[in-house]
Amino acid sequence: MPDVDVLIIGAGPAGSVAAWYAKQAAPNLDVVLLERDRAVGSPVRCAEGVGDAGLREFANPDGSDWAARKITKVIFLAPDDTEVVLADCGLGWILDRTRFDAYLAAEAAAVGVQVLVGAEATGMSRNGDGRWHVRVKERGRDELYRARIVIGADGVETMVGRWAGLDTRVPARDMESCAQYVLQGIDVNPDAIYLQFSNAIAPGGYAWIFPKAVGVANVGLGLVALKTDGRNARQYLDSWVARRFPSAARTSYTVGGVIVHTTIKKTHADGVLIAGDAAHMINPLSGGGITNAMKAGRLAGRTAADAICAGDTGERRLATYHKAWMELLGEDHLKYYRIKQALEGVDDASFNKLARTANNIAPDKRTIGRVFTHALIRHPQLIPVAARFFV
Amino acid sequence: MRRVTPDTIAVVDLAVCDRCGLCLPLCPPEAIHLELNLLTVDRDQCTGCEKCVAPCPVGALAMVAYA
Repeated sequence: MPDVDVLIIGAGPAGSVAAWYAKQAAPNLDVVLLERDRAVGSPVRCAEGVGDAGLREFANPDGSDWAARKITKVIFLAPDDTEVVLADCGLGWILDRTRFDAYLAAEAAAVGVQVLVGAEATGMSRNGDGRWHVRVKERGRDELYRARIVIGADGVETMVGRWAGLDTRVPARDMESCAQYVLQGIDVNPDAIYLQFSNAIAPGGYAWIFPKAVGVANVGLGLVALKTDGRNARQYLDSWVARRFPSAARTSYTVGGVIVHTTIKKTHADGVLIAGDAAHMINPLSGGGITNAMKAGRLAGRTAADAICAGDTGERRLATYHKAWMELLGEDHLKYYRIKQALEGVDDASFNKLARTANNIAPDKRTIGRVFTHALIRHPQLIPVAARFFV
Repeated sequence: MRRVTPDTIAVVDLAVCDRCGLCLPLCPPEAIHLELNLLTVDRDQCTGCEKCVAPCPVGALAMVAYA
């Protein structure tokens, strides 16, 4: 029976960064990172967009093979396709997640983390010895791991949280169903991401175009099923793509869920920490989760190493992880969640009007703040949105 | 605790399912499980609430008579 100090389940951005920081903080600890799939980074269930500043806390995208495209522009599309090009929205990147996730796992391995692929955790129980006993299926064999701390970084479908007795359930209104194609041969600005808000195209969510190269982009949408006309995400996407890119080649297809909720009430238990999508650490407004996951992974890795070195892996000590996360980003997500709820009341006609108003602002002054201010002056019906935003 | 047997329960069409796991956190009684990369609904835990059906991005979940 392998006996380890920190067992991390899931080698996405949260898991790899957690493993990396745990090992770095305490190099004498045994840190093992498990990945269910046979390759880290695959399948990709992600639109792959990430902000520059958050990314650089963990990895340098300049000249890397895992950054597919640098993004310098954000273009909002109104429901009637009116384009609003925003000024000053900062830099971003579209990643190649297959390579990026492999890069992060390799960084973890380079500091001494043992990375195992094709290893699926199938259950765990707390034993009298103060360790978690985790059942792992590996190449058809069952193996039992003993771990002082288990970090659950197992994504939207998290089972670790469930096994540890934490409530990781999501109300249906806070789950976006997403579908995405990689399209080839499309004519869009390869330096810009496009976001389209429309109840007819993606009710309760938005549609996106994230370029990966000239003529190639992740084209997808996320929607809230409770608000649809009965069609599923793939059917909505097919309609949108047929209208916008009728001649494009679809070379890849993926579906998945994005939790647009707030961090779960408790992200820790005796000997357990939950990080990333598994703990709903996603910006509920944008649906972005990559840098959130890495930041949570860093906190989880350090907390786990400190706790083991101090000889106390109890729930009370691990609560410092939850507190640190809430202060870092969790509290902000509560605010974003309120904005998201307020925006749900805006209909397509108001978005169209807002887009035309915004385009009257000089292009170099068209920042998100100014667009919002103009929206309030010209469209007083949006004032309740602002009121809720600032509460 | 006694459970009332529902008239219909959810099933996964594995030929359509993309194994994205979206339905797992949506299930109030946590009746959907992912093991060996396959999603299954535990017929003894499913309460027939249908909350997993509409959000499935590919329509792989459906209700069938409990029998």
